[in-house]
Amino acid sequence: MANTNIEGAPIRRRQDSALRVRLRRGGELLGLILSNPTTVFGLILIFGMLGMALFAPWLTQANTPDPYQMPRDWGALRMPPGTPGHPLGTTNTGGDVLYGVIWGSRTSLQLSIVVVGVTVVIGTAIGSIAGMVGGKVDEILMRIVDVFLSIPELIFALAIAAILGPSFTNIILSLCLVFWVKYARIMRAQIILVKQNDYVDAARVIGDSRLNIYFRDILPNAATPLVVQATLDMGAIVLIGATLSFIGLSESGIAEWGVLVSEGQAGIASGRWWASTFPGLMIFLWALAFNLLGDGLRDALDPRTESRR
Amino acid sequence: MTDMSRLPTPEQASEAASGSVLSLRGISKHFPIRAGALQRVVGHVRAVDGVSFDIRPGETLGLVGESGCGKTTLGRLASGLLSPTSGGSYFNLDTAALSKLNAAYALPEDARAAALAPLEAAHGIATMPKAAQSRFRRNCQMVFQDSFSSLNPRHLVIDIVGRPLRVHKEASGEALTERVVELLEQVGLGRQHLYRYPHQFSGGQRQRISIARALALDPELIILDEPTSALDVSVQAQILNLLNDLQAERNLAYLFVTHDLSVVEHMADRIVTMYLGRVVEAGPTRTLFDAAAHPYTRALIAAKPDLAVDDPQVAKFAALDGSIPDPARPPRGCHFHTRCPVATPNCGWELDDIVRLLERSEDLFESLSDVSRHSDFAGELAFEDEGSAERLAQALRSDATPASMRSAMESLTVDGRTLRVRFQEVGEVQLSDRGPDHIAACVIKDA
Ligand SMILES: Nc1ncnc2c1ncn2[C@@H]1O[C@H](COP(=O)(O)OP(=O)(O)O)[C@@H](O)[C@H]1O
Ligand SMILES: [Mg+2]
Repeated sequence: MANTNIEGAPIRRRQDSALRVRLRRGGELLGLILSNPTTVFGLILIFGMLGMALFAPWLTQANTPDPYQMPRDWGALRMPPGTPGHPLGTTNTGGDVLYGVIWGSRTSLQLSIVVVGVTVVIGTAIGSIAGMVGGKVDEILMRIVDVFLSIPELIFALAIAAILGPSFTNIILSLCLVFWVKYARIMRAQIILVKQNDYVDAARVIGDSRLNIYFRDILPNAATPLVVQATLDMGAIVLIGATLSFIGLSESGIAEWGVLVSEGQAGIASGRWWASTFPGLMIFLWALAFNLLGDGLRDALDPRTESRR
Repeated sequence: MTDMSRLPTPEQASEAASGSVLSLRGISKHFPIRAGALQRVVGHVRAVDGVSFDIRPGETLGLVGESGCGKTTLGRLASGLLSPTSGGSYFNLDTAALSKLNAAYALPEDARAAALAPLEAAHGIATMPKAAQSRFRRNCQMVFQDSFSSLNPRHLVIDIVGRPLRVHKEASGEALTERVVELLEQVGLGRQHLYRYPHQFSGGQRQRISIARALALDPELIILDEPTSALDVSVQAQILNLLNDLQAERNLAYLFVTHDLSVVEHMADRIVTMYLGRVVEAGPTRTLFDAAAHPYTRALIAAKPDLAVDDPQVAKFAALDGSIPDPARPPRGCHFHTRCPVATPNCGWELDDIVRLLERSEDLFESLSDVSRHSDFAGELAFEDEGSAERLAQALRSDATPASMRSAMESLTVDGRTLRVRFQEVGEVQLSDRGPDHIAACVIKDA
C-alpha cells in the first residue's frame, strides 16, 4: 500500500493515491448506476440515438445544400415502407422518412443540449446568487421566478415562440427563456440547505474566501438534484420542442421529428401510418431513455444510498 | 517562506503570562422572530444578551448551561462566525490593554466610546486592521459538535486537514502532505488515513480529524462546541485526554462549551455558567464545584450523573423542574426565578409567572379571556366566568403557589371576572463579586 515507507521511494505513489481514491470512488458510483437494468436500457437507447446523430452523414446521403432540410423525391410520393431506396417509406411531399428519423436525432440533440446547457448555467447562476447573497436580492429574484412559475412551461414557451415567429431557432430561444426558472429554484433551495452544514462554517473559520467556499463546499454538495433534473429535461425538452413544431411553430420541411409527425398525421386516416409513426416513435424513445437514466441517477445519487459508496 | 506574523513580538511574548486572548464585552445576539404572511418581525430571541468574559492565554474556560441557553451562539460570536447585535470582542490584549478595556467599560456609556476607540482600532475583531484580522483568523479555530456535518463528505482527509495550510499559503505539494501527516499523528491518526473520506471513519476519529484541522495553523485559541457530546463515554474520555495532551504541548487556550458539567470538571481552569443568554456565574472550577453561589450552577452540578442523590442538599437541586422559559420573553429580575428551588420574594416575580402557572392548569387557562398589563409587574387577568377568577385567586394564596411568589404580591383582588394583581418591582440582578475571581448574579448574597 501507499504507506510502505522507504525513504524517498513511495513519494510518487502517494501523490497518485488521491487520484486513485477518487477514480475508485467514481468507479464505484458508475458500478452502482450500472447495477440497475432499466438505467442500462436507457443508456443503450441514448448511445444508439447518439450514434445515429453522429453517423448521420454516413448512414444517409446528406441533402445539399442544407442537410437539415428533408430531401424530396418527387417521383416517389406517399410510398409505403419497404420501397426500394425508401426503407421506411416517404411522406406526402416525397420526403424520405428514414432520412427524417436519422437527421431528426441531430436536430433533437441540438435542441436539448442547447436548451439544457443554457438554462442550467443561467438557473445555477441565478439560484446561487439568490441562495448565497440572500436578503433583498433573494427576494427580488424569487419574485421574478414566481411570476415565471405561475404560467405553465408549455403555454409560456408557446406564447414566446408565437410572438417571435415560426422557426426552429425561435423554439430553442423560447425554451431557453422558460426552462432556467426551474433550475434557479432547485439551486437556491439546495444552497440554502447545504449552507447550514458545519463544514461551510469550518471553511469560514479557517479563513477561506466566499468564492472558494462556494465552489469547493457548496456547489458540489448542492448539484445532485440539478443533474438529475437536467437529465430528465434532456428528454422533456425534445417532447415540448416537438409539440411546438407539431402545432406549426417551426418552419416546414426541416428534418425534425415533431414537424414530420405533424406533416404525416393527415395521411393516417387514409392508411399512410408510416410518415408520423416512425418519427413519433423516436420522440417517445428519446424521452423514455432520458427518463430512465434520470431516475437511475436519482436513485444512485440519493444521499440515503450515498453511504454505500 | 518565513511568515513574520507567526513569530511572537516581544509584546506577545510577555502577555503569554497574563492578558487575554479574547475578551468579550457586553456581547449580544438577538435573532428576529418573523411571523405572518409578510414575515414581519414580531420579536427577538435573545440568544446571547450582554455577555462579558476573558479567555486567558493557555487556559481552558468551560462554558456550561442547558441546551438552548445560547452557548453555541456565543461560541459562534467568539469565533467571528456571527456578528453581534451589540457589544464587542477584542483579540490579543496584553495586561495593559486589558486594564484599559476594563477601565473603558467602567465608564458611563456616553463617555465610553472615546476611551474605547483606540482599543477598537487595535484589537476589535471587526474594526482592527486587515493584517490583525487575518492573524485572528489563524489564531482562533473551532471544533463543532456534529462531526458528520463539520467535514465535507466529498473531500479526502488530506484536503480537509491541509486546507488551512493551503488557504494561508503555508505549504503545498510534498511539504503539505508531510505537515498533514504530522498533524494526523498528533491526534492519533496516521499516514494511512490521508486518502480516505470522512464517512470511512468512526465518530471519534472524525472528531480527531476536526481537531487536526483546527491545529493546522497553530492557533492560540480553539473554541470547542460540545466536541464530545455525540460520542460514546469511552471515546469521549479519549478525546478529552487528547485535548489535554495537546494543550500541555502548546500554549493553547480552549473555550470548552458543554451542557454536561462532569465533562469540564477535570478539564476547565475556570467555568462560566450561562442561563437564557446571560452569564449567571463565573469562577475557578474548584470554587464552583465546592461553593457555587448561583442556584442554577448548583442545579447543574447536582444533575451530574455520578453524584449521590440521597444527599438532601443535592436532591433539592437535582430535581430541577420546569422547562426553560421562552428566550424571546425572558423572566424579569433573575431569569432563573421561575425554576429556582431557593427563590426569594425579591427575585423578580411578575405577571407572566401567573400566566406560566395558568398554562399548567388547562381549564383555567381556557377560560382566560384577556390579560392587560400595566407593567411587567402589575395588571389584570379577565376570565369568562367569575368562578375561574376566584379559583385562581385561591390558588395564588395557597400552597400551590411558591411562598416566595406569594410574598412578592403587593396586592391581589378579585373584582367579578377580573383578577387584579401587583407584584413588587425588581430590577435586573447584576453580577457581583463573591470571592477571588468569582462572580455571580443572585440576590442571595451568602448562599
Ligand atoms: N439562527 C438562529 N435563528 C433564530 N434563533 C436561533 C438561531 N440560532 C439559535 N437560536 C435560538 O437561540 C437560542 C440559543 O440557541 P443555542 O445558541 O443553539 O443554544 P445552546 O447551544 O446553548 O443549546 C435558542 O432559543 C435557539 O432557538
Ligand atoms: Mg449548542
